[in-house]
Amino acid sequence: MLELTDIHTYYGHIHALKGVTLHVMQGEIIALIGGNGAGKTTTLRTISGMQKPRMGTLHYLGQDIAGVRPDTIMQRGMSHVPEGRRIFGQLTVRENLEIGAYTVSDKATIESRIQEGFEFFPRLKEREKQLGGTLSGGEQQMLAIARALMVAPKLLLLDEPSMGLSPLFVETIFDIVQRLNRERGTTILLVEQNASMALGIAQRAYVLQTGEIRLQGPASEIASNESVRKAYLGED
Amino acid sequence: MENFVTGILINGLLIGTLYAIIALGYTMVYGVLQLINFAHSEVFLTGGVVAFEIFRVLSPAPGAEPGTGMNPYLVFAVALVTAIVVCGALNIVIERLAYRPLRNAPKLVPLISAIGVSLILQDVIKLLEGFQGRFQLAVNVPGAFTRTVFTVADTNVKGIDLTLLIVAAVMLFGLNRLVNHSRVGRAIRAVAQDRVTAGLMGIDSNRMISLTFLIGGALGGVGGVLFALKFPNLDPYSGTIPGIKAFSAAVLGGIGSIPGAVLGGLVLGIIENFLGSLSGLVFIFPKLAFLGAIKAEYKDVGAFIALIVILIFKPSGLLGRNATEKV
Repeated sequence: MLELTDIHTYYGHIHALKGVTLHVMQGEIIALIGGNGAGKTTTLRTISGMQKPRMGTLHYLGQDIAGVRPDTIMQRGMSHVPEGRRIFGQLTVRENLEIGAYTVSDKATIESRIQEGFEFFPRLKEREKQLGGTLSGGEQQMLAIARALMVAPKLLLLDEPSMGLSPLFVETIFDIVQRLNRERGTTILLVEQNASMALGIAQRAYVLQTGEIRLQGPASEIASNESVRKAYLGED
Repeated sequence: MENFVTGILINGLLIGTLYAIIALGYTMVYGVLQLINFAHSEVFLTGGVVAFEIFRVLSPAPGAEPGTGMNPYLVFAVALVTAIVVCGALNIVIERLAYRPLRNAPKLVPLISAIGVSLILQDVIKLLEGFQGRFQLAVNVPGAFTRTVFTVADTNVKGIDLTLLIVAAVMLFGLNRLVNHSRVGRAIRAVAQDRVTAGLMGIDSNRMISLTFLIGGALGGVGGVLFALKFPNLDPYSGTIPGIKAFSAAVLGGIGSIPGAVLGGLVLGIIENFLGSLSGLVFIFPKLAFLGAIKAEYKDVGAFIALIVILIFKPSGLLGRNATEKV
């Protein structure tokens, strides 16, 4: 479904991704783990078109999407939940969802997707008319995911959904991610610092370190890898 | 005494409505780019110049047979539409040339650019009109607008005043609908808050910013036409003072807030009319003779003092939000 081959991305002179190669197959949950500054967010930004790769190939559903604008990529069924949620704080919950469906023109479709979102996240329904900025962190994360689902994506990119959330909310969010994958068949590429949680729900995983893929394999193998346990799972 | 107060209120509201319309142009642009579009005073003046030209060409010459020439209301409508198109387009071009290339520069830089555009436009207007031997533009206002329609509490309400109120009410209603209850308005607000994420939602932020400038310019154009009808003597610098006042009105109401711009305009109009009329109190209370010294010319000073005082106690403006967002 998605295939990155030897992707190099730069921020000015900073060489952020130094030849990343990874692939995601239809229906998978893939975890991309690694420490701060490893290039996890950059990888997602490159995939969704927010950052242009300087070298390498980027294929999505059989098409080359390197350098294609984010809105075009989105219309092909890819949605990106950005780091830090980035919901629109001065817009109501409903308006946030409507903005998520900006590229959808059919009003009935938009309405039915909003209702689907409310079924998935009943708490958002209670807060429908509230401004996004008044929600708690966990609710904002729900809103960010619900907003990304408004285009009924085939591939969902999730950037640190557990960031800054209480353990209870982290649990809820991960449940939802699994349900999305199971019930709707949404393919998920999950970036996480919370490696144990991510490896718990993913089929396969990649470990990114200073812009390069260091390890890859089935999530269970990665989780039992000695150096991963030391570096990311907090064990000595 | 009652008539005195009512008169101040009515006149204040009328001039305040004009400030409100111009203030909306400042606040729209500020809302989306956090930029004070200093060129707005000249964009607005361009609306006045358009009105002057349209009335000059289409109205019957002064002293002509009554009943000849185009219907004055039709001429007004033509002036309004032309000003909307010209000023809207002008504002889009200004953004394209003077602000967009500086989009990622520190905020002070486009501000300087805005001041530059303002000065350039003043000179362009001077050049265009001066070329034809005109510097003072006396707008040929049709009699229908200067006639008194009715009198409330010794205050004459003229045709232009009623027109001003109707046009302003229609515009405010329309703008509110557009910004708060339409797909495009939502997109503009999303771009205003977070351009990058709006882009991720498939919104073309440059288009939304152009659209905002179009709306702001069009509002300025309408304000300019109405201004020219109310104060028919224009010159290339006539935009400056109303521009500064409208900008102040926008700040007073809470810059970035649409209802704030309107409230700020009305409050500023009433305050300055009140201060400008203080000397009139001498006739009612002869003991307050010292008030006679406060000539109407001081009304601007008074208005700005009031602005400073209000902002000291409410720095975010009357309807401004102290936005504290959860991150």
